[in-house]
Amino acid sequence: MPVVRIDFPRFSKMVGAEREKIIDRLPYVGLDIESVERNSVRVEYSPNRPDFGTDFGIARAMKGLLGKETGLPKFPAKPSGISVTVDRRLSGVRPFIACATATGLRLDDEDVRQLISLQEDLHNGLGRKRRAVAIGLHDMDAIKPPLSYKAVGPSFRFRPLDSKREVTVVSILKDLPEGRAYRGALSGARVYPVIVDSKGTVLSFPPIINGAATRVTTKTRSMFIDVTSMDGRAGDDVLAIVSTTLAEAGSRLGTVHVKYTDGSRVTPDLAPTKMRADLGLVKSTLGMNLTTKEIISSLRKSRLDVKGGRALVPRYRIDILHPVDIAEEVALGYGFDRLKPDYPASRQPGAFNDFENFLDSASTVMAESGMIEMMTFELTDAPSLYSKFSRPSSERLAVMDPKSIDHSVLRDNLLPTLMASLSGNVKSDYPQRVYEVGRVYGREKGGVSESWQLGCLIAHAQASFSEAKMYVESACRLLSGKEANAHESTHWAFSPGRCAEVSVAGSHLGHVGEVKPESIEAFGLGVPVSGFELNLSKLFELLK
Amino acid sequence: MSSSLHPIEQRILKALRETPTMRLEDIVGKTGLQVDQVRRALEWLSTKGYVTLTRSAKSKLEYGGLPPEVKVVQLVEGTPPPIPLSDLRANFGSDQEFSAALGRARSRGWIVTETGPGGLTSVRRGSEDSLSSLKEIRGLLDHVSSNAPISERERELLPDLVNRGFVKAVEQSDVAVAVTSKGLGEVPESGASEALDRLTPEILASGAWKGRSLRPLDVEAKAPVFHPGRRHPVRDFIKEVRETYISMGFTELEGDSIHPGFWNFDALFIPQDHPSRDMQDTFYLEGLADRKLTRTGTVANVAATHENGWKTGSKGWGYTWRIEEARRLVLRTHNTVLSVKALSESREKETRVFAVSKVYRNENLDYKHLAEFHQMDGIIVGEGLNVRHLMGFLTEFYKKLGMSSVKLWPTYFPYTEPSLEVIGFSEAVNAWIELSGSGVFRPEVTIPLGVKVPVLAWGPGIERLMMMRFGLDDMRALYGADLSWLRERRELAGS
Repeated sequence: MPVVRIDFPRFSKMVGAEREKIIDRLPYVGLDIESVERNSVRVEYSPNRPDFGTDFGIARAMKGLLGKETGLPKFPAKPSGISVTVDRRLSGVRPFIACATATGLRLDDEDVRQLISLQEDLHNGLGRKRRAVAIGLHDMDAIKPPLSYKAVGPSFRFRPLDSKREVTVVSILKDLPEGRAYRGALSGARVYPVIVDSKGTVLSFPPIINGAATRVTTKTRSMFIDVTSMDGRAGDDVLAIVSTTLAEAGSRLGTVHVKYTDGSRVTPDLAPTKMRADLGLVKSTLGMNLTTKEIISSLRKSRLDVKGGRALVPRYRIDILHPVDIAEEVALGYGFDRLKPDYPASRQPGAFNDFENFLDSASTVMAESGMIEMMTFELTDAPSLYSKFSRPSSERLAVMDPKSIDHSVLRDNLLPTLMASLSGNVKSDYPQRVYEVGRVYGREKGGVSESWQLGCLIAHAQASFSEAKMYVESACRLLSGKEANAHESTHWAFSPGRCAEVSVAGSHLGHVGEVKPESIEAFGLGVPVSGFELNLSKLFELLK
Repeated sequence: MSSSLHPIEQRILKALRETPTMRLEDIVGKTGLQVDQVRRALEWLSTKGYVTLTRSAKSKLEYGGLPPEVKVVQLVEGTPPPIPLSDLRANFGSDQEFSAALGRARSRGWIVTETGPGGLTSVRRGSEDSLSSLKEIRGLLDHVSSNAPISERERELLPDLVNRGFVKAVEQSDVAVAVTSKGLGEVPESGASEALDRLTPEILASGAWKGRSLRPLDVEAKAPVFHPGRRHPVRDFIKEVRETYISMGFTELEGDSIHPGFWNFDALFIPQDHPSRDMQDTFYLEGLADRKLTRTGTVANVAATHENGWKTGSKGWGYTWRIEEARRLVLRTHNTVLSVKALSESREKETRVFAVSKVYRNENLDYKHLAEFHQMDGIIVGEGLNVRHLMGFLTEFYKKLGMSSVKLWPTYFPYTEPSLEVIGFSEAVNAWIELSGSGVFRPEVTIPLGVKVPVLAWGPGIERLMMMRFGLDDMRALYGADLSWLRERRELAGS
């Protein structure tokens, strides 16, 4: 989750509260405290609240909660006189653009740091790594309006940020780190989007990189903001968050006229959104018989308001989708710590799942036989499953893009992971007798089958077929009340001539045998190993 | 023989009956007991007046190691010349130690070093007459290590070796033991009926044990190490959690690990481009999809809810929902998938279900992350349920699992509203730690499934609680298959 750093002296001034009070209340705004220092605290915020991406946004919410400033924050915006014309050829590439201006800025280093961090978080979150939405911040004094958002060919050149010379858009995609990181957003495009002013100065090559000419510094007094996107709503959401944050940072907002071929609009639109204020839903969700007055005052503490039976939601609150979200805002404003827990007594008895109980008994039977239970991972490595038993891997069930090849294939049997466990314990006392009750996977009719297995291995100088057979027979007898039968058979884990199929009541359940010496060697073991595998799902079916 | 005597005391008195005065060491040799056992028993016997102890102190010299200058000569003597200097170096711990040894041996004339035409320094033994001082030192060390008397000349060489720790002067106390007549009275005359080594079925049948005692054993000696069979601690903890749920009126669910993304994500109102659905975070099965899933019935309701809110009163996420994405098979990322499926199948107005089972995340393994771990998800469905009931349940649930102090903080999940995070105080790490996410299912989740009453839901992991209980600081230790830990871990009862 994204993180914001809150500096206490700075934040105390913003919200009018001291360090201890701030630390105590941050969780009740919905923020997770990651670490606390003497002069600062780092908090994690959920991606549904991108308006918490700066200390400005957090202060806005905190002031409401502390009752210092409640109700809807106001964001007046005057026309900036700037217009942007959109090239229709961008409709299949990156169709939407929304812009705003912010003037009268006096940014210090910390302000700039907070804004950059917000931009990063928005790019990664709502922006889906800039694929869906990308933001450009520019020094407005370097721009000569009107602007155009237009399509250019691969050989179009300009000087990108942090570059000494002009380069073509294609070489930016190929050679610059930003190009390589984000070019996926433009894959398949035959034209490329750029934002240029009336003199041809390039502001941005979205969503890749800004131009060098309009770079923002602490000296920037007026800012131009562009937000390009694949989806109009997402772009407007992001622009609302960025521009209202700049307003909190002390700037005056200005609107921009965006002209599409088939119509035009003025951005940003920061009018509050409306959501039905369902008082009945509020009361039933919170289990509190709150008065209308209490509900309204709680909503105002959450920086919302109520008008004509509707909740007014500030435009930057993009997470409010349903009247139930209004109920939560009431709870937040009221304070979750003021809600009294109420244990809901059960009117019915509980019930164990029979199969889970059966699996648990299988484990008990084995432990009482003197064995140690292992719990290994279901995702394992292909060599342990296949090559160490010299069997083909054609039926393997692999997961896509695993972070580690040690956990990349679903096991079809417990014997391989148990062998791997033994090989990690060669320094422990022998005899070693281990078992596992675990899930295994197989392919079935174009899909996947899952079942539960009991696996067991015995490793010591005298480990033998008959010892393993003794254990599997006692397990079958104790779990099913029936005698197990053994028939000569073969299995990839066991030596020929030292392997039998185990069945109960005519149903084949698994194999018992002596592990073949090439596998003992492949797992780095130095003692004989015997064991068995038994299908517990099938055994359970037999008992029903 | 008096029964008030310990078997060890009896053995010592028996030895003293044959030889009335002995040194402590002789008693050890004769009885085969440990020195400490004998010393302890003699103290008791002396207190009871069965023996008298006479202590005298004497000083003894002990060999403490070969002086490095002697070691150098020894190495030179054992190697055919010419011996490159560098060959000798390997026998010493440090360059410093080696050059000190060389210096001493050379100044005494025991070795001679010379540099050949190639610049290579070699070593050979000194001439016979310069070796007399070496012989004296070797003689002294021999005498010390064999406990033989040392000569006047050798005594002069001692201070240097003692200072450098190659000879140690040890103070030793000598104990002479004499049995008293009272002690002798405690020991039976030899020739009495012989003690039995052990009982056998034959001896029991014949009654031959009557009037005979069993030979005393060294009952303090170590027995062989035994490793009993044991269930895995995670299984025991799961059992405890299951019992806790059952005691609170819950019905247990069990089900598959692999599901189409639809049940793991879409049905929980998690949008299809949500980062948690990335391959970076979720395990998708290579080349497998649930082709039977079609946009009809519940699936159609869920799809419309994502797109525009359908009949749920929501705005929806506002994107074009795709069946292909919903069909991809995933290893479940939470067990809520089981509760949601159960909900959609039963549509019960009032129920409580839970599942304790594995969930899977595409993570790099480290001390607090695993790719497979257990969760103990549950839901309560019922008319009139609200967030305070959720708070009440979670407080009670964690109290039963041994967490005395629990806080509930607002948080966010795509499928619950309100959402609460459960924080518990861990005495082990002296800090508040995250225990569980929880919340009331959003109407966008319940209405498409045909559920018309509130649903309270939570999805806690179990590993953190277990780590606290076992005092582990690395989650991997739970599944490390470390036989010595699984065999020897302390048995822990609840909490």
